[in-house]
Amino acid sequence: MSEVNEHLEKLMQELRRGTLTIAVLSQLNEPQYGYSLVTMLDDIGVPVEPGTLYPLLRRLEKQGLLDSKWDTNESRPRKYYLLSETGNEVYQLLVKEWNEIAESLEKVINNKGAN
Amino acid sequence: MELIDRYIYAVTQKIPTSQRKDIEKELRGLIEDMLEERTQGKQATEKEIEEVLLELGNPRELALQYRGTKRFLIGPELFDSYLLVLRIVLISVGAIIASVFVIKTMLNPISILDYFIECIVSAVTGLPSAFGWTTLGFAIAERASELKAKDLQIEKKWTPKDLPTIPQTGTIKRSEPIVGIIFYTVLLLFFLSSMNYFGIWTFRDGFSGAIPFINVNADNLFILFIIITLGFGILKESLKLIYGRWNLKIVLFTLILNTLSLLLVIYVINQPDFWNPNFMEQLVEHNLVQADSEAFTIIQNIWEQLTKWVPILFAVGLVWDVIDGLYRVRKANK
Repeated sequence: MSEVNEHLEKLMQELRRGTLTIAVLSQLNEPQYGYSLVTMLDDIGVPVEPGTLYPLLRRLEKQGLLDSKWDTNESRPRKYYLLSETGNEVYQLLVKEWNEIAESLEKVINNKGAN
Repeated sequence: MELIDRYIYAVTQKIPTSQRKDIEKELRGLIEDMLEERTQGKQATEKEIEEVLLELGNPRELALQYRGTKRFLIGPELFDSYLLVLRIVLISVGAIIASVFVIKTMLNPISILDYFIECIVSAVTGLPSAFGWTTLGFAIAERASELKAKDLQIEKKWTPKDLPTIPQTGTIKRSEPIVGIIFYTVLLLFFLSSMNYFGIWTFRDGFSGAIPFINVNADNLFILFIIITLGFGILKESLKLIYGRWNLKIVLFTLILNTLSLLLVIYVINQPDFWNPNFMEQLVEHNLVQADSEAFTIIQNIWEQLTKWVPILFAVGLVWDVIDGLYRVRKANK
């Protein structure tokens, strides 16, 4: 049983890694800082650890999908992330691709269930 | 609060330098946000800090996330020691090649050109391969440490208590002066017990004695020379061990000791019976050079200039020692 769990955990990790990017991009039409994003994602049912999200934000920024700006006016400096123009385009295409995948998977799974 | 600093340090140490500052700021903000959520504005307790750090997880893993896929041949964790070892290896190999050249030339000065070519060839082949092997060794160590880190995690759960303390800048590693002291002591013992062997070694069916540089018969001040230079060396290393951190006092002591030893060395070396008076004759006796040959004149010239050059070389080394100390103090106080 534990072996099954192990496999499941590994596969879920891979699955989450891809979907998390979409979830993050979806929330960044408005500038957000890391921890506010953690809370937001948690509220909409995509729990994510800060230790995963923060490096991910940096990676997306480095790839040019996000823009960032330090806000030093508040009590502590915070780095705000926002979808860049490229990021927005990529997000739109990504959503389209995702819908197609979801659709095909739906078919695959249901067909198999029917057999 | 100190625990937070240590955590951030542990993470950023394993991240390329160019990103450290930014990640440090962001990470600190995150930890403060997480703490605030727990404490609702009150002063955070040690326990709450620990909880937050535990939630963030092992700093090694967090750093790994920041780094993304490993694209290092030798990662930042090992890179500093890699540079250090590489420097030592290259200098040693260079020194060995150079001394082989010098020794061979002294034994057989006529073939100096052959030996010089030999020396260049071994430098061209030896240095790159020393570089290559060192790099390969560290690359393997890098891969191995990744594996090991994973193994260790299964055995032991990470807790904030495992965080190492942040070393102050300019600290002197304890091993450094200890190695220095051992080195000086061994040299001191060697010279004190076997002064006769400090010279040119001759071989005829194996080792057949040495032609000493210094006068072994006269009641010699050479002992003083050795005790001053090496003894002061031990003293300097001990100071480093005591203070454990570069500061102006160490440099000042170094300056005083170096000036003293330089003056004493100049005095000792200028004593009329310091050098072996029969050095040239003994070289001829052992068939190392032929009397009245060109090589004989060259060696004799060098031999006679030694009294002038040894203190100069000595002085250069000692001045360098002080400058190096000053540089380290400046670096430590930055």
